Amino acid sequence: MSYDLSRVDYTLCGITYPDTLKILPASDQKLKQRFVVGDKNGVLQCLSIKDEEPVVNFKTLPGKPITCVQLGSNAGNTSDKIFTASGNEVKGYNRKGKVFFAIETSVSETITSMSVIGNDLILCSGRTITFYRDLQELYTYICDDRVLDSTPFSTPNSVRVRLLVIIANKEALIVENGKLLQKIYVPAGPTSITVPPFIGHDVSAIYGSADGSIGVLNYQESELTSKCLVPGAGLGSVTCLGWLNNSSGYHLAVGRHDGSIQLHLINSENLNDKPRLKFTYFSGEPVTSVCGGVITTDEPELLAATFSGRIFGLRSNRFMPGNISSASLDVLANRRSKLEAEVAKLEKQAISEREKYQRNTRSFLSGISVPPLLEIEYELTGATHNNWQEVKLISAVPLDVLFVYCENKLEIQTDSTAVLSICTQQENNSPELLATIRCQAGTRRLWMRIRILDDNETKMEGTRVLIYVLPTGAPRVARLIKLYLSLLPHYSKYESPDIENKQRPCELNILGPFSVAEMTAWLSQILPGELPRPSTTVIFARSHTTLGTFLIYIPEDCCLNAFKLLEDKFKSAYNYHKECEIKDAISSLDLDENVIKNEEEPVLCSDYLRILNSLTKEDNMEETFEVLIDTVEKWYLNWCKISFMGRHSNAHLLKLQHALQNCNISEIEECLTFKTQTDEN
Amino acid sequence: MQVSSVQPVFKLELNHKVTPGIVTIAKYDGTHYCLTASAGYDKIIIHHPHGGMSAGRAQRSQAHGEVSELNLSQAVIALEAGPIKPDCARDMLLIGSPTQILAYDVHNNSDIFYKEAPDGVNVIIAGHFSKYTDMLVMVGGNSSVSGINCEGEEVFWNVVSGKVISMITFDFDKDGKNELLIGCEDSYIKVLKDDHFIMEIAETGPVSCLSNINEVRFAYGLANGTIGIYEEGIRLWRVKSKQNARNLQWSGENLVCCWANGRIDWRDCTGRVLRRVQLRSDAAAMILADYRTVGIPDIVCVSTKGEVLGFPPILDNVGSNTAKIAPSEEDRLAVTELLNKKQALMIELQHYESNAANTSLDIDRPDSAMPTNTRLQVAVAADTDEGCLQLAVSTNNDTIVRMALVLAEGIFDSGETLARHPHSAQLRSVLYIPLKPPRDVPVDVHIKALVGYPESEQFHIFELTKQLPRFSMYTVVSSSIVKSKVVNYVSFRITERVQRICIWINQNFLLDEEIEINNEETKELHISFMCLRDMSRLDLDFCPDGQVKITTHDIRLAGDLIQSLAVFLNLSDLQVLQIHIYYF
Repeated sequence: MSYDLSRVDYTLCGITYPDTLKILPASDQKLKQRFVVGDKNGVLQCLSIKDEEPVVNFKTLPGKPITCVQLGSNAGNTSDKIFTASGNEVKGYNRKGKVFFAIETSVSETITSMSVIGNDLILCSGRTITFYRDLQELYTYICDDRVLDSTPFSTPNSVRVRLLVIIANKEALIVENGKLLQKIYVPAGPTSITVPPFIGHDVSAIYGSADGSIGVLNYQESELTSKCLVPGAGLGSVTCLGWLNNSSGYHLAVGRHDGSIQLHLINSENLNDKPRLKFTYFSGEPVTSVCGGVITTDEPELLAATFSGRIFGLRSNRFMPGNISSASLDVLANRRSKLEAEVAKLEKQAISEREKYQRNTRSFLSGISVPPLLEIEYELTGATHNNWQEVKLISAVPLDVLFVYCENKLEIQTDSTAVLSICTQQENNSPELLATIRCQAGTRRLWMRIRILDDNETKMEGTRVLIYVLPTGAPRVARLIKLYLSLLPHYSKYESPDIENKQRPCELNILGPFSVAEMTAWLSQILPGELPRPSTTVIFARSHTTLGTFLIYIPEDCCLNAFKLLEDKFKSAYNYHKECEIKDAISSLDLDENVIKNEEEPVLCSDYLRILNSLTKEDNMEETFEVLIDTVEKWYLNWCKISFMGRHSNAHLLKLQHALQNCNISEIEECLTFKTQTDEN
Repeated sequence: MQVSSVQPVFKLELNHKVTPGIVTIAKYDGTHYCLTASAGYDKIIIHHPHGGMSAGRAQRSQAHGEVSELNLSQAVIALEAGPIKPDCARDMLLIGSPTQILAYDVHNNSDIFYKEAPDGVNVIIAGHFSKYTDMLVMVGGNSSVSGINCEGEEVFWNVVSGKVISMITFDFDKDGKNELLIGCEDSYIKVLKDDHFIMEIAETGPVSCLSNINEVRFAYGLANGTIGIYEEGIRLWRVKSKQNARNLQWSGENLVCCWANGRIDWRDCTGRVLRRVQLRSDAAAMILADYRTVGIPDIVCVSTKGEVLGFPPILDNVGSNTAKIAPSEEDRLAVTELLNKKQALMIELQHYESNAANTSLDIDRPDSAMPTNTRLQVAVAADTDEGCLQLAVSTNNDTIVRMALVLAEGIFDSGETLARHPHSAQLRSVLYIPLKPPRDVPVDVHIKALVGYPESEQFHIFELTKQLPRFSMYTVVSSSIVKSKVVNYVSFRITERVQRICIWINQNFLLDEEIEINNEETKELHISFMCLRDMSRLDLDFCPDGQVKITTHDIRLAGDLIQSLAVFLNLSDLQVLQIHIYYF
């Protein structure tokens, strides 16, 4: 049976980052709990709710954006010490709002997540994890990719702290004392982790991931394992996790990028049991925090914050109508009328300001109008199958229209709720793309996919895509977002630089009077995603998302070598491709289901039947074969370009294409040796 | 207001694929409804849940016990049913194939008539039209409509400018007799009364569906995804979707729209979506029928895979969620709504606040700055070199127009927008946008322009709406330059002062300067235009004796001009004296 919870709005704050809302533990006298929220304006507020009306316990002055809020914990219990991180600073507040702790750390990037356990402070910023004990830096650990979240576990009979870390290249690590103990790859791509409140000394945590799925990470007997519990089912990526404990048990609360909030009932005896979905709510904008506690009524409720700064509760309907006394009805009506008055006042103020603003446009004395930048966050992922790259965009204000411009040929897809309209080019035969995306009312997040249409020419520079974002209401300003599609969009996955490659890797050595910064600038044109900050030595590795190859350049015989690396993958893709063709052929015959199932007089031979029944089509796989063929062909052409001054014989190319299509390995290898061609030259 | 979903009241599988759009429902025995659909090229399936079919040409289907199959030797293009025999209440099935129509009595297994349709068959409807007392079968072809009686004789026929793709009978002028509403592929809804068209409603795309609502209203859907409602020839509302509307039906007090992708939504009388259902596959059709025989018609949806779902009309105050809302809940919803408003207002105020903070400072062009007295001006001018209208958008200072979007329907080759985004080297404070309305209809163009400095990260949005008059693609040329070579003309006589004609010209053409007649005594007017599309000549001559001569090689334009002039002058009847056409 699923729960029936309804939304109660409490208050507004500024833009919030993930996990910046926390519920304080209940104090002894009072049953009701307070909560703290930190926003982008740098304001930290501690609030309690009385009769659905927010009461401010304390509120700080605006400052640097608060990117992380955490409660201290001691020996497994959460304390009421509040810690906030903004930039490289960490501050501690007690429950009265008094600063008892402030430190400016040495980390170079913004702190994105932190934990406080006893006297230990663990900070994650960029690729580094920094461990402080008693305000002394104990160690730092540098990961292969950005750290997304981390959580500490105390080790039995030891003062050492074990860290479970998830990083952007879809890996989960166990780090202890600055050393890597274990590392595994989690294909779903975890984005945030949370430790169940009921867990003892085990090292286990629930993760939510980029594909929307939920799973569990366990570290037992020096073995880190992951298990998917709930598949993504088309929901957006997980942005935050929380817990709600009520009479029916422990619930995992999941907040997602697409605005959904879900409650899953978790078996506290066995974390690996499949959670039961109890409740789903769509808030319409990305959810940044979810947590459970006793806020208004005696029953625990779920408290959520969104990107734009809405804070609301989701609570059981049992406490809603009948049980409410007439007194609280009055209180509610009172709250409503108070808000109405406030909005009316604001409206009046806005109208007068608007008039003032418009009057300015007619005056001769020109001032300068400098509206603040629209609050928009966006993300461009590396290419996955078929060259598609995803752009996710969230906004604090509802969106009206987006205009996309690109000088090169670009293909674009978007949400099914938005109307995409491709405009005619400004000049005939120009490859440029001009497109508009008209959003439904109230849209605050948008998803689109873009890919460069291949004109079979090796490009020397990346592609710039301009997106103009026009909001629905005031302020009437449009923000320009510049995206850069790199030359090698597939190489988005970070790898550990010291991979043991079975094959001899191809090497490119560049020597010259340039700095690491210059090199990084050059690489940023080529590779997608963020690069490590320039320092004296930068080592990193990337891998191809579909081919599984690492960065490759073309020295002597490289085509053949490279192909040999791929050979197994190519063969399996070929077989799969053939089977798909057969299946298509059979299904296009449109045979009656009864005929197929008729076992007495089989119409299809057993092999065909197996293919028809067993083969489930996956987009990725089917395209892989095409991608492989394209890649090999391109290698061939590029090689010709470099070594034969751009000349290549069409006959040879055709021969190669034919060989590739039919998976004739020996012939392909022969082509890729370039023997005959070199002779001709 | 949240959109709710609904559960169907009945659900069945036909176990046959259904061709989209070729579905009807009929009482072949006079009492029980049978769902009838095309199930592939020449196969018709009849679902008869209320009893067996008398054996005949129809054969029982192997895939479903309550379905009979009927095989024709020709492709099935359209299906319709109606009690066309005057003395019989049973519905007859009308089957349209590419070149003929067959009327078939399913109950008696006999053919009623068989009629060749040389102009093709796109739509068939059965209904009462004009003065004819018997029910007629009306057929929409590629450029005509015709009416056939139950004997298979043609009783009327008329030419239509475009391919007919939808039709309904509707008492448009409320005289007690039905007119025929014709949805054409060339984006017009035409109203045929007796033997002439009394109204042409210009729409922005092929009119793919029409549906009756009540005595004064009808709903329409276009192939570009727009749906809307007309009342007495005036559009009440319209909304646009990415999908195409398959069918529209009025159920209870709601407009139900069935989209091609299998989504069905219920809208209230203002177009707001109340509830929504998604079929498991694409929709083939949606019809209104009392398939459960309970006394009120249900919405019956058929998917292309043969799934049939029935939904009852939404009844007010019967267990609906909205009725049960407690006062406290209402307050909470109001609070949520108020906080929404508060949030939006605070963001707006923040914007003004930071403006005020900055006016005192002398900042040299930060990323999102703009002088406060920037204004945007828009002008439209004919460009004879490019053969188009140039919409010029310009600012009044050194800011530049980074980008301009023009939103209008039906005038662009692709999509609903036209955009101009100049190269960074070509950024100016003025931007030209070429427009080429393909048809002579009035167009509202909405312009969104982004103004700022070349390196800005944020631009100010300026929005303007400009109306292009109906004949904006014709620009005035001095009649003295070249004498018109066009010899084709239409002439007729009107009794109207030339001053009134001037008003009509000023309203319907795009002129640099309005034509003025200073002298009260002036009795004639001669004016020449050039069409920007093909540079052809148009001469209008209004003579003192009331004779009007329209000289153009485009007979359609002449017709449009007469129509527009007649509407303006409120003429109900106009006798054309002469149409003079030379064929070269």
